[in-house]
Amino acid sequence: MSSGKVTVRGQRRKKNHTKARLILFGALVLLLILAAIFAETLCPYDPNQQDLSAALQPPGAGHLFGTDRYGRDMLSRVIVGARVSIFSALILVAVIAAAGTLIGMICGYIQGAADSIIMRIADICLAFPGLVFALAIAAVLNGGVGNAVIALAVISWPKYARIARGQTLAVKSSEYIAAARLAGSTPLKILFCHILPNIIGPVLVTAMLDIGTMMMEIAALSFLGLGAKPPTAEWGSMMSEGRSMLQTYPWTVLTPGIAIFISVVLFNLLGDTIRDYADPGNGSRQG
Amino acid sequence: MKKILFRRLLMLIPILFGVTFLSFAMMRIAGSDAVLQKTDTSGVALSEEVIEAQREEMGLDKPFLIQYVNWLGRFLRGDLGESYISGEDVFTEFVSKLPATLFLTLTSVLLTVIISIPLGILAAVKQNRFIDYLIRVCSFIGNSLPNFFVALVLMYFFAIRLGVFPVISEGISLRSAALPTLTLAIAMSAKYLRQVRAAVLDELSKGYVTGAKARGVKFSVTMRKSVLRAALVTILTLLALSIGNLLGGTAIVESIFMWDGVGKLAVDAINMRDYPVIQAYVVWMALIYVAVNLVTDLTYSLLDPRIRPGGEDA
Amino acid sequence: MKKRKSALLLAAVLTASLLTACSPGAQEGQEETAKSEGEAQEKTFIFGDTTFNAENGEADINPHKDSGGWPCIRYGVGETLFRFSDTMEIEPWLATDYQNPDELTWVITLRDGVTFSNGRPMDAEAVKECLDALTADHERAAGDLHIAQITADGQTLTIRTEEPVPALINYLADPYGCIIDMDAGISEEGIVVGTGPYQAVSLETDTRLELVKNENYWDGEPKIDRITVRTISDGDTLTMALQSGEIDAAYGMPYASYPLFDNDQYTFSSTATSRVFFGAMNYESEITSDPAVREAIVLGIDKESFVKTLLGGNGYPATGVYPDSFTFGGEAVREDSYDPQKAAKILEEAGWKDTDGDGVREKDGKTLTLRWLTYPSRQELPLLAEAAQATLGDIGFDVEINSTADHNSIRVDTSAWDIYVSAFVTAPTGDPEYFFNYHCLDDSAQNDGHYHNDQLEELAEELSKTFDVQKRSELAVQMQQIILDDNAYVFCSHLRMTMISRANVTGLTAHPCDYYEITADLDIN
Repeated sequence: MSSGKVTVRGQRRKKNHTKARLILFGALVLLLILAAIFAETLCPYDPNQQDLSAALQPPGAGHLFGTDRYGRDMLSRVIVGARVSIFSALILVAVIAAAGTLIGMICGYIQGAADSIIMRIADICLAFPGLVFALAIAAVLNGGVGNAVIALAVISWPKYARIARGQTLAVKSSEYIAAARLAGSTPLKILFCHILPNIIGPVLVTAMLDIGTMMMEIAALSFLGLGAKPPTAEWGSMMSEGRSMLQTYPWTVLTPGIAIFISVVLFNLLGDTIRDYADPGNGSRQG
Repeated sequence: MKKILFRRLLMLIPILFGVTFLSFAMMRIAGSDAVLQKTDTSGVALSEEVIEAQREEMGLDKPFLIQYVNWLGRFLRGDLGESYISGEDVFTEFVSKLPATLFLTLTSVLLTVIISIPLGILAAVKQNRFIDYLIRVCSFIGNSLPNFFVALVLMYFFAIRLGVFPVISEGISLRSAALPTLTLAIAMSAKYLRQVRAAVLDELSKGYVTGAKARGVKFSVTMRKSVLRAALVTILTLLALSIGNLLGGTAIVESIFMWDGVGKLAVDAINMRDYPVIQAYVVWMALIYVAVNLVTDLTYSLLDPRIRPGGEDA
Repeated sequence: MKKRKSALLLAAVLTASLLTACSPGAQEGQEETAKSEGEAQEKTFIFGDTTFNAENGEADINPHKDSGGWPCIRYGVGETLFRFSDTMEIEPWLATDYQNPDELTWVITLRDGVTFSNGRPMDAEAVKECLDALTADHERAAGDLHIAQITADGQTLTIRTEEPVPALINYLADPYGCIIDMDAGISEEGIVVGTGPYQAVSLETDTRLELVKNENYWDGEPKIDRITVRTISDGDTLTMALQSGEIDAAYGMPYASYPLFDNDQYTFSSTATSRVFFGAMNYESEITSDPAVREAIVLGIDKESFVKTLLGGNGYPATGVYPDSFTFGGEAVREDSYDPQKAAKILEEAGWKDTDGDGVREKDGKTLTLRWLTYPSRQELPLLAEAAQATLGDIGFDVEINSTADHNSIRVDTSAWDIYVSAFVTAPTGDPEYFFNYHCLDDSAQNDGHYHNDQLEELAEELSKTFDVQKRSELAVQMQQIILDDNAYVFCSHLRMTMISRANVTGLTAHPCDYYEITADLDIN
């Protein structure tokens, strides 16, 4: 129906539309990241300063988001929490995307026994029940955001390895790779100069969409007490700390909850838009 | 078909070795000690000699590899040891709780399919219309809320405000399963309906759809005969790939709703460092994951003959 | 579209409810409705508890295993020979009297006419069988009681001990001393047959315990026909279950939920217990081996605010080991209260100075980093850690919190922590000796910080041989003052234990020992 009769003009208009969205969401995400970088200067209060006599004040003039049970300013904690929550997700995704892509590319390029072995290892990692495995690792490593990131990295890289490997296999057989090989390029040069630029697109799109998911996974680990250590402000652990107050002092849970929600939505929207932009054909394809 | 099946079954062996070894290694490296774990909050103290004796009894004083080989040997005979904490036979305990988890997984998968396929198709057909946007916005919201939060909110509205469903489960029944199922299905449907939408759009842009249209075939017929099938393949792939995540995800939800399944068992065991139970859980879940993938691969070839099971690209 | 989505949801919900109509769950629901409508032929009571689980050593209700005695006595299955009054004085229960002819011999007279729930009379022979099994299977009990020999004669039980055990009667009132019928034994599920108002019919670890009225109960007729105890480990789930009426009473409610029940639909029953939240200093650590640092820690924790704000007033700032309700507790000992200025001055004088201006003090190249080891399964402990982190931070400490379920394997490694903060029932049997034996002496099982004081050792030796209750109290006060003067421990707060029930529940009363909950008085209207 509709997609069947997309005209050239319609496509162009759609592309412009996508571009506008790209700029909008890109700017918003940038804003979010900037806020996280300059968190300390943006905070109205010291996020770790306790004042038990001012505990659990509802949102109001003095404290826009209210205070938590230790009398700390929620707004300041939510702003500072952005740093840990967003950056740890970004680092995590960067690490797994880079490592996974590298492994996948090499496997796809050399094939043979090493490829089989590495891909079987990837299968093993995939076969573990995700979050529970991460939980077990986080428990073994004894909590902390860093360890939560490591735990999630261990089970998440194979996805990228599979994508990169598949793409590499497809690109490898093309003529220009054969030409490069004939021209005497080293395998390293072929991998990084010829194959990588051709497969980076799908990897990036997947990575963008993964950021939101990973933010939630880190929050879930924190929720179970295996994430950030006190007094570090992190959205997941703030929610976990405040959840028993959902009915009595709802702002302690809702403010970090809304922060997670907005950030995840923004990263997802950006990822979606990048995908649409990179692949204008039909709006979207499987990630 | 038989050959493929055989090959896949053969491939299971290294995977299972890897899975068992890794899970065993991980738990042992932890270095924490179940004997000491017992002397917890209840304020009961044990003497050093008693602790040593119990450690020996549990075989915790032997070298690592020997512990692994011993454990694997027993595992293959169906003996998963006894829980450090409750002292009960792990296999019996695990098997008794497995149906609850499978039931919950099944209901959530069903609800996910019921929600995501029609909505995904609708969004694709009405691409860039209001309905499409609305569905996508809903999916974004569903996809951006941590499931522990969704669980608490659902509990609050359905159990306390409306009083329709119970907060704590009363055994395996649909009434008890309603809230945990909804929690799991909201997150999954949000993800899958976007994939279904993408798959249907992909299919709709293909030549044969235009061709069929040119030949005057009714759109609903094309839809039913080809497009739906494509959507089904997509969702099957996704379900198979995410079954690991789903089984893991049930763990948190099970704990919150006191759903007495293996997920709750695992979370409790992780908190208490109950190695035999964690190992049993990890290995069994990996087994289920591998089995489900095997079945999915084989189903593909029934649904879509072009796809070769066990092919190179995943 | 929204319509469509909600229509789908509605359809799913409808299907679900339709299907449930045929399942057993729904029939239960109908029964409940029927019950609440008219005069009930059967009274049921559902109790939600966060602590009835294997993690706490309560995998089942077998008193001879781990802490199984706690649920056994709490839920009205088992009873002990002696019990505690509301002021923690010894009272007769299954026994009516005892005599102590010499230091090693105890003659106990059992109550007549008591039967186990299966009808077997409780005589000296039955009690002997039970205690013999207890000392064979339960290491802690064996270590407390030092029983050499038991002889049974009708309703008279004679116990001979290997060494003088002044607190024997108190120990017999510990939950592990529940008298159970060893002929009936211990079922595969871990069910035992006791003399209490209720008898257990089924048990699932970490999930539920089903009880029915004991028709043969010796002390009045139990009023409830069926009781279900549900293990609900999550505090929020427990809160909502009580709100939705799925449970009738709850133990272990998060403090943040208290305001929800602060109305006439619910009843609170609270009492002070001897469960204390306290920190043990590590004498092997470079930081806490410095007496000035220890003193500063004691002065730098704001116990009053912790109790008032973070526990919502549900506790008592602690002075020493025992709460006010004990003769040897509360104000019997002296301890400095919160004084950050004084703490800072002490640190300054001891040479701990903030030379680089980062807010953390240093001395001889070491920074004043305090590794605070604790665990999350008691909701108060992480709160205490974070509150102390801030107040100690103000006087120049850098507090690193390690709150982990794995604390028991870490605390034995003295290089891994500086202060270990835990919750402990200091006088579960109303006697002071227990705390010192487990924590403060050279041969204590839990003296993880390797604290030692010669004078304390001598007094402990004296205490173990003293039978006179008054004298024991005096010794306990002296011993407490020694550990407080050494600043070897910091006692932050005693727990106020609370049970919340629906207003129609009567006879559910919190007891200072924390283990009498369900009794024959329990009723629901």
